[in-house]
Amino acid sequence: MKGLRKYIPPFAPDQSGAAAVLYKLNGIIVICDAGGCTGNVCGFDEPRWVIEKSTIFSAGLRDMDAILGRDDRLVAKLVDTAKKVEAKFAAVIGTPVPAVIATDYNAIKKMAEKKLEIPVLTIETTGMDLYDVGAEKAYLKMFKTFAKDGLTVEKETIGVIGTIPLDMSDLKAADKIEAALKKEGFKNIYCYGMGVDLSKAEAAGSAFKNVVVSPAGLKAAQYLKERFGTPYEVFYPLVSDILQDEMKEQFKDFEGKKVLVIHQQVIANSIRDEIHRNVNSDVTVASWFMLKDELKEAQDISLMEEDQFVQLIEQGNYDVIIGDNILKRAIPNFKGMYVGTPHFAVSGKM
Amino acid sequence: MKKEPYYITAENLAAAGKDNIPAELISNTHLIYSSPATLSFNSPGAEGFGVKRAGLAIPGSVMLLVAPGCCGRNTTTLSELGGYSDRIFYLMMDETDIVTGGHLKNIPQAVEEICKCTPSMPSVVMICITCVDALLGTDMERVCRKAMDRVNIPVLPCYMYALTREGRKPPMVHVRQSIYSLLEPMEKKLDTVNILGYFAPLIETCELYDLLHQIGMKKINEISRLKDFDEYMHMAEANFNLVLNPEARFAAQDIMKRLDIPAAELIRLYQIDKVQNQYRIFTNALGTSFDDQKYYDEAKKAIDELKAVYPDTTFAVGEAMNANSFELSLALIRYGFKVAEIYASLTYEDFVYIRKIAKLSPETKIYSNLEPTMLYYDCSEEKIDITIGKDAQYYHPDCVNVPWNQDIQPFGYAGVKKLFEELKHSLDCFDKEA
Repeated sequence: MKGLRKYIPPFAPDQSGAAAVLYKLNGIIVICDAGGCTGNVCGFDEPRWVIEKSTIFSAGLRDMDAILGRDDRLVAKLVDTAKKVEAKFAAVIGTPVPAVIATDYNAIKKMAEKKLEIPVLTIETTGMDLYDVGAEKAYLKMFKTFAKDGLTVEKETIGVIGTIPLDMSDLKAADKIEAALKKEGFKNIYCYGMGVDLSKAEAAGSAFKNVVVSPAGLKAAQYLKERFGTPYEVFYPLVSDILQDEMKEQFKDFEGKKVLVIHQQVIANSIRDEIHRNVNSDVTVASWFMLKDELKEAQDISLMEEDQFVQLIEQGNYDVIIGDNILKRAIPNFKGMYVGTPHFAVSGKM
Repeated sequence: MKKEPYYITAENLAAAGKDNIPAELISNTHLIYSSPATLSFNSPGAEGFGVKRAGLAIPGSVMLLVAPGCCGRNTTTLSELGGYSDRIFYLMMDETDIVTGGHLKNIPQAVEEICKCTPSMPSVVMICITCVDALLGTDMERVCRKAMDRVNIPVLPCYMYALTREGRKPPMVHVRQSIYSLLEPMEKKLDTVNILGYFAPLIETCELYDLLHQIGMKKINEISRLKDFDEYMHMAEANFNLVLNPEARFAAQDIMKRLDIPAAELIRLYQIDKVQNQYRIFTNALGTSFDDQKYYDEAKKAIDELKAVYPDTTFAVGEAMNANSFELSLALIRYGFKVAEIYASLTYEDFVYIRKIAKLSPETKIYSNLEPTMLYYDCSEEKIDITIGKDAQYYHPDCVNVPWNQDIQPFGYAGVKKLFEELKHSLDCFDKEA
């Protein structure tokens, strides 16, 4: 049945993806909600929040704010906070409440920028899309707002787009990617979404190339290519890290098998490539999140509903499934080999 | 820019009065800072009981959360707590549903499907709805009746409207009313009482059980101790309800109106003489008495033992715990300890404690966890020995901490005794480690 989840809890929503992209940039991040969405973003979807101070706020909307559309009060609160908290920009991130009352984000931006001396971004998330949709909007807005023109391209500088914890499921992913790319001769590695501050977003135009590690980063990479001519590649450099045992065994258990890889598209594709490099298998990628046409193979599957997922496994005759362990709840009768691969946006587990 | 957290001393706050509370301490005048210290404010269900967990208090019930996916996101954690993963289901809304209300038509079928997939038929299906349906003005009672026709078991609405948290009937008040709304009139039993207010039982050693036995109560009902739905329905036999948490007042009033069961109210206190007074007033009103000397002495002993070993202890008191921050702080100050800092959301009702704190400890600093400048709180500026509350621990991570946020509820002398024993035990352990 459409929308019904009997076994698998909901995945990270778009506002969590957007907040994660902006998290390290030293801006005032306002989740435009009554409090619960901020609680979810911080208490569940943002693992960095418990280990470092951050400037995330809830708008603290109340029923009359929503009913009367009191955007002026939100702006006044934002101005008050900007006087008290040092920040380089402010961002207002949408949730279901502003989606229902059709909040005019452009008006909020204009009203706030008149009173503030810092740029104001608005990300029109709704809480009804998934994290990658919010992350995609935020990456794009981040580069459109902050990337500076006229910088010299540096051969030793590389951008990595898509490294939020929701995608990487590992808080050390930026360090590991940096180490991997340093081996290839790059000196300045900018992991957008995890490791870098606002100055690196401003310097995006100086990158020699970009690597896209999540489908949510693709549009931003395309935008940077159009604006600065920066080429990009799409792959995930840490497959060996998430499938250590299988890599050691050179995927010999996968030989001649029918394999289903369930993850975000770039990681899933890179896992498929790695399997194909080692053995002959029939590998299909499936994702609950965005499947970009340009990265998709004909047999790949977009997962929308829990029932559809259960049916796919029951009828697909897969020998091996690679995916987050929480998905196993829905398929207790699957008798093949299940390789647990965390996806933080799915289970909230690293 | 000062980069300092806002605070006000108890003396200045008392002098300003409850009609002049500084805006920094009023949550709806500023953005709500989100730190680990505010998690229980923004997301009460992240730890302890929020609406979802509370809504499952009826034995054998299951819940269908009808909402955008984001509202159910943190429920993964809740599901992992014992027994909840098989009891919470989701019907996720999309943008079309907001426009057409199409999700409402699907609820009866969804209820039918979840009843089919549970190992045994649930006793009740709670339909939990959120801010979106609050704004859409959904008549969930009507939808529940339609669902009930499909499954022939009660289907109840449960409102998780965060937008109304500071209104007349906030979510945690509403859910308390919902979970008792299935009770139907029954013949009264004079020796039966219901304890209302919490979703977990009182600590086993609580003297309130003895008190109630002494005044002739043989059956003491707490929803969390009931084995099954039948026992739950027999709560309607009670002679009276005892309300231990003001958030259950509405539920008690509703039960009075529908089932003619009157209610009395007691509150959780940590000032031992006030605990004694409260019991005296309560038993006098019932025309009886309660010999509480033994319990009083035990609690007093626990306080005295802490005071004897750690006489100069300085406390910081938070709000994410089983106490009113200001009442507990006043109790500690009256016992001779120093309370340097309190982190709490202030209400008008708290001024009764603020004024007394101001007289005894005028320099006590009062902060709001929710105020944006708390970003700049620096733990090195005040020497604190021990913190109470998980939020207070966030500000002083290297101090001894007693979280005091357990599900099992401390109350009365037993609560006082347990707290002071835990404080002493934690300080003893810290000393040993040092």
